Amino acid sequence: MIRPPAIAALLALGPMAGHADTLTLFATGEDLATEGFSAPRLTRDGWALAFTRVIATFDDVTAWRADPPFAGDGPDIAGRPLEIGGPFIVNLVDADEDDRVALATTPAEAGFYNALSWSLAPAPDGDFAGYSLVFEGVATRDGVEVPFTLATRDAVAHACGEYVGDERKGFVTADAGGELEITLHLDHLFGRADRPADGAMNREALGFDAFAEGGLQEFSLSGLHVGHVGEGHCFDRAL
Amino acid sequence: MSERGTVLIGRSDRAALALAAATAFAPPQALGHAALIEAEATTAISLRAHYDTGEPMAEAQVVVYAPDDPARAWARGVTDGDGRFVFAPDLGAPGRWTVQVRQAGHGAVAHVDIGEAEAATGREPLAVASVGAGGAPGILTQAVMVALVAWGALGTALYFRRGRRDDASA
Repeated sequence: MIRPPAIAALLALGPMAGHADTLTLFATGEDLATEGFSAPRLTRDGWALAFTRVIATFDDVTAWRADPPFAGDGPDIAGRPLEIGGPFIVNLVDADEDDRVALATTPAEAGFYNALSWSLAPAPDGDFAGYSLVFEGVATRDGVEVPFTLATRDAVAHACGEYVGDERKGFVTADAGGELEITLHLDHLFGRADRPADGAMNREALGFDAFAEGGLQEFSLSGLHVGHVGEGHCFDRAL
Repeated sequence: MSERGTVLIGRSDRAALALAAATAFAPPQALGHAALIEAEATTAISLRAHYDTGEPMAEAQVVVYAPDDPARAWARGVTDGDGRFVFAPDLGAPGRWTVQVRQAGHGAVAHVDIGEAEAATGREPLAVASVGAGGAPGILTQAVMVALVAWGALGTALYFRRGRRDDASA
């Protein structure tokens, strides 16, 4: 059964975001989505990328209070679950000042939500039905511009540990709501010219040369490990 | 000053310098007491952060969270060239201590449970080891410590010398 996108539910719950006894889930492609790849942060093969849309579909999202803490080292999380649901279809370019898109605000018991499970899943409908992640934009190198649409149908499940970032996230109290974040590291997909060429990320990344013909092309997420929680680790597996 | 242990070793050096400055400008006759330092060994947590390739997370950002306030950073620092970091937790706060290490888009988390037994001593750490220094105070701190003891001894001597002169003139 295809569930309708939860965008309408998100709008209805919008005023609750940040309130006590709630947990708000965000998604981000960071500034690589909102600002694109530009010098010195070109793709590993020297392309500048400007995105008009980065459409991602997230589903089966569950926040967990895990004790002992989950290390992101396997597919299964043990703990007290808080179902957030999905599917959520969002454009990661159309983000707030922190490069984030709010997916849902859910009533939550007080506690520390220190693990998150979620999937990148094919969109049930919309402009890119059947695709889980789509990049639309223009690539530029040496004065040559290439309009592109890159899309994948891959469904990937993620089991993630604690959010790692400037601040510790996931605390819900009687006085304040908590936040969690799904973070897509787009440099894992395209690589970065300002990082060591022989580094693990650049060795695995696709770059853009393979797509230089432009137009609609499909790609695979296999082995790229794009999904994170901030800089925190996720165990991912193809569905 | 090395970046290793910047937060904690920096605190002990600045405190020592401040005390030295205060005593250096005080009139000698106002110093009636010797300077004393007490130190004791305490529990420290040592960690090493590295990538799954084995490469150390050198010069990586470190944030330590204490169990009694897990949402707020308790200490911040930087790993050394081998990805190592050492800190002395407050033994008065038993529970799960958490360390996050971050670098270039990669992060790792470690947890250390300090039980009630370790916390029962109630001792707060007075010194923190820096990796590579083996827990000993730095050269600057040692120099200040020696100077403080010497200055205290001089002040004591001058105080008693003045006391004998007053008795002679009476």
